Parts: sequence; structure tokens; C-alpha cells
Amino acid sequence: MRTTFPTIAGVPASKGRNEKQNRMAGVAGSIVPRMPSTDYASESELLAACRRQDVRAFEQLYRTHGARLKSMAYHIVGNRQDAEDAVQETFLKLYRAIQGFQGQSSLGTWLCRIAINVCYDVARKRQRNTEAPGERHATHNDQSPLRVALQDALRRINPRHRMVFLLFEVEGLRHAEIAAILEVPEGTSKAWLFEAKKELKRLLSETRP
Amino acid sequence: MIFQCEDLDRALRSPELMPDARAHARNCPRCSEQLYLWSEISRLAPGLHEEWDSPELWPAIRSGMEAAATSRRFPVWRWPLAAAAVIVLAASLFLPWRGRPQSRDFLTEDALREVQQAESAYARSIDRLSKMAGADPSRSPLADVYREKLALLDSAIADVKANLQNNRYNVYLQNQLASLYREKQRTLQEWLENGK
Repeated sequence: MRTTFPTIAGVPASKGRNEKQNRMAGVAGSIVPRMPSTDYASESELLAACRRQDVRAFEQLYRTHGARLKSMAYHIVGNRQDAEDAVQETFLKLYRAIQGFQGQSSLGTWLCRIAINVCYDVARKRQRNTEAPGERHATHNDQSPLRVALQDALRRINPRHRMVFLLFEVEGLRHAEIAAILEVPEGTSKAWLFEAKKELKRLLSETRP
Repeated sequence: MIFQCEDLDRALRSPELMPDARAHARNCPRCSEQLYLWSEISRLAPGLHEEWDSPELWPAIRSGMEAAATSRRFPVWRWPLAAAAVIVLAASLFLPWRGRPQSRDFLTEDALREVQQAESAYARSIDRLSKMAGADPSRSPLADVYREKLALLDSAIADVKANLQNNRYNVYLQNQLASLYREKQRTLQEWLENGK
């Protein structure tokens, strides 16, 4: 264990768009508070610690990926409570299954893949139940009509296209990372992003006066 | 290139066509709107990232992990399984002695006495038959065959009886003796009927 900032493969690199995304992605060392001395410096150290069921290693993963997973989960399940439940279930699944992780992808990629599956499970369960879905939109500073329309439109597009749009445009992942998470070729990720934007543009056009 | 409205989708896919698309959009309100929306989608998307404080989330995850670790050390599902295994083991050790049926190869003293009494009565009645048949003075081939068969049966009966002296409780030998007596009875009856 060292005191250096962790660099985990699979953590999205900053595309330099805004501070929030950089903080979220956990790669901009200048704006992320320095980790305590118990952090694992490399992916292999972190993985070894996870395999030893060292809870601090999972905490480090949570600090690095938790915010992005929550946001992604929110967009799939539609409310904060379910999103938090999904993130919790994701980490517990990771904890239980870590011995079987072969390391073909990074921990971050694997975590994201688990989270997506958990979120779809949660969304399916909620669809089966007839209870009210809860809040759909959190209060946000920017409540411009176009933003609200975009958020609504996002729910109506093809789920695979929406997933790529969320990961690339909203959460700032690269196509290579998205391709690894969704287990599709990188070209497919690019094509789905284009289709997502095309669908969104069509839906937004319909709502415009 | 003369850019048409229908070229817009192609331009959105190919950045090298974008200057032409923008030039066209300056005089085409519809394409201008489409280009505007396209760029707005990417501009607004990062703002869709949702962030909120969840002070109880990590503690809940940690508790879940600790519970999972505890249940792994002392898995709840293993207790009923272990109990069932103990019951099966105990039953397999205990039942053969307690519930095992008595061997068919061995008889109790009472049962043996019953069998011997029945055998004696049976043997006496067969002896009577034998005397009746033995009174047949004919030396016909058929009578000789019956005598020969009865001699064989008597020899076999004597062998089985000798074996039974060493193993009085052997059911198999008792059954064998009974079947030999039956065969002797059948043979004598046949001889008497054919001799009439």
C-alpha cells in the first residue's frame, strides 16, 4: 500500500469538459482530494486486496466509481432510492464474486457491467410492480425546457443506444471503455451513439414549437 | 458540392461535411434547427449527470459485506444440511441392528419344533403310501422306474436330514426336505393310480 493516488484501468479519462465530470471520473488529481494512506496504488494491488476481502479496497472502489454508478443507475431506474439500492447490490455482488474474477477487464469495467445488469433487474422488477415510480427528475439548477425535454426524450429511445449515450455523453467514458463494458466492438459503440443522438434530435424536434 | 437538406444526416456522421452543412444551414431554417439541436444535445448531456449525497450508502454496503463474510464463515444453509447428515448417519448405523428383519436362514426354536412336527406327520403319511405302493408285486418296467425314483428320493431325503442335524435352523434345507417329501408323495400317488 502506498500513498499515491490510485490509477485504475477502466476509470474514464477526463474529456476536459467540466470540473464535476473530472471529479466524478476520479482522474484529475488536482481537484480530487488526496486519498488516505491506505489506498492501493495499482490495479493489481487493489484486485489482490479485494480478493482478500479487504473492505478498504472495496471502499476505495466505491470512492472512485460510486458517484458515476449512482448517476448511471439513476438514469436507468428513474429515482435516487432505487439507484442507491442498485449501487449497494452492485458492490455486494462484486464482493461475493470477486474470487471468480479472472481479470480479463479492469475492475472498473467489471463493476460497471455488474451495475448495468443490476439496474436493469431493478427496473424490470419495478415495472412488474404497479407501485408509483417515484420521482423521475431531481431538482436541478439548469431546468431549461430543452434540458427537461432531453431528459424525457432519453427515456424513450432504444435502451442500448441510451446506454451508450449515458456512458459517453453524460458520464464521460471513452468508446473503448464503453465497448469493454457492453462487450461490443468499439465501432458498434460509436454507431449506437450516433443513433441515440439522431433519435434524440428527432424527439426534440417534435417538441419544439 | 451542392449541399441538400437530405445530406444533413450524412454530414452529422462525417465531420468533413460539416462546413458545407453549416453553410447550407445559414439559408435553411430547418437544417439550422437540426444542427442546433444536434450540438445542444452534446452540450446539455453532461448536465444530466446526477449527483447527490448518500451518507448512508457506503455504511450500508460495508454492513452488507460484513454480513456476507459472516454468513460465509458460518453459512446458515449448512446447519440444516449438517443436521440432516447427522440424522441419516445415525439412522444408517442404528436401524440395521434395531429394525433389521430376522434372517430367513435361521429359525427360532418354536418354529423349528412346528416344522419338525409337520414333517413327522407328513413323513408318516408318506410311509403309509409307500407301504401301499410297495405291496405292488408287479415287476413291470414302469414299477421299476417308480422304485428307482423313490430310492433316489429317499437317498436325497437322507442326505438333507443329515445336513439338518448339523444346521437345524437352516430354512433352505427345511424347504428342500419339504419339496423332496412332496415329490415322493406325488410319485407314490402316480404309481398307485397307474397301478390300478
